[in-house]
Amino acid sequence: MHISEGVLSAPVLVMGAAITAAGCGIGLKKLDYDRVPQVAILTSAFFVASLVHVPIGPSSVHLVLNGLMGLLLGWPAFPAILIALFLQALLFQFGGITTLGVNTFNMAFPAIICFYLFAYAVKQRNNLISMGAAFACGFFGILLGSFMVAISLVFTGDPFMGIAKVVVIAHLPVMIIEGLITLFSAGFLKKLKPELLEVVHAKR
Amino acid sequence: MPKDSPLKRERLSRTSWPSVIFLILVIFTAASDTLAHRVVLFAYVEGNMVFTESYFSDGKKCQNSRIEVFDNSGNKLLEGETDKNGEFSFKPPKKTDLRIVLTASMGHKDEYIIPAGDLPDGAEGKAWQSDAHGAGEKVFQAEKGGEKGAPTGQLTRLEMEQIRTVVDEALDEKLKPIMRLLVKRQNEGISFIGVMGGIGFIFGIMGIILYFRSRKGR
Repeated sequence: MHISEGVLSAPVLVMGAAITAAGCGIGLKKLDYDRVPQVAILTSAFFVASLVHVPIGPSSVHLVLNGLMGLLLGWPAFPAILIALFLQALLFQFGGITTLGVNTFNMAFPAIICFYLFAYAVKQRNNLISMGAAFACGFFGILLGSFMVAISLVFTGDPFMGIAKVVVIAHLPVMIIEGLITLFSAGFLKKLKPELLEVVHAKR
Repeated sequence: MPKDSPLKRERLSRTSWPSVIFLILVIFTAASDTLAHRVVLFAYVEGNMVFTESYFSDGKKCQNSRIEVFDNSGNKLLEGETDKNGEFSFKPPKKTDLRIVLTASMGHKDEYIIPAGDLPDGAEGKAWQSDAHGAGEKVFQAEKGGEKGAPTGQLTRLEMEQIRTVVDEALDEKLKPIMRLLVKRQNEGISFIGVMGGIGFIFGIMGIILYFRSRKGR
């Protein structure tokens, strides 16, 4: 899901960078500083997740974990994903420095959406609702991410439906795997550390 | 502290072991393999053809991906598609620096530059022959000519040409695996050190934030 350097045109890159800057601003503002270690741990998880290759399907895909990031972090997922993607670009040449803004937005925006859609349901006492929401959170994180990538690539001149189909189909296995990962992580945390699921945005 | 705290601690330590082991496994398997998300394009010259190979960095070939070839002033010379082995070959239309660009699905892109010097002065190379080359040949001919006379010089030059071709071919063949290995080495983005370094970076940033936070709070 990392878009390489030189694929996108300058306006798309600038727009992506601008939105990401805004998102990171909000994220840092809403960051509860007692939670910095948690953010760091999830940033590391996101950073490493891209190295876990999913060998199913027609293309080369990997874990993303943006649904989980959104669920556990809320808005601070924005700066967290920015840092992780920056290090991936620097150390592994995934994506690139110029496409950093667009890539961050493509991954972090679905994370925020997932947070607003599912975080409340995941905290419910009813296990079925909670587990279902956790699975959906991981699943939709990738699904929305795929659409975001397709939308970014539309500006290169390819038709949207064509790319969207390719990206979504390629990521179907990842969606299911991430749904399960999010389900187990949420279930695990709910049993042991339910307070970690209570994302409290600092009010400042 | 509440009464139940030792119990809770025990429960935590017992249940978190599998997840710790899982995390360690993930980190190590990820680091030991080059499982990744990036395309790599590699091109080499053999005879008067240019061959390209392309793969995702986990080793999967890029099938039916677009390849475009540009000269050094950015004009497109030709384009084509990779076959099912991720390979594509073409005859360079002129002797110039070739910039080969691969566009794989989902916004992946890589390029490889073949400098003009690597391209052969082959059969259709008459027009390409640089001045230096021509001058060298003339000197050679003159030397030979002075010694033994023109016809023998001509013959030797042909022989030389043949020997050069044979040696070139043999060298190409011998060096191919080494070239491939070199390029693979060069393109290997992921190392254990990189993974650990990245995680270290993230925790370093955390440390800096917490440091300034704690000073502010005081």
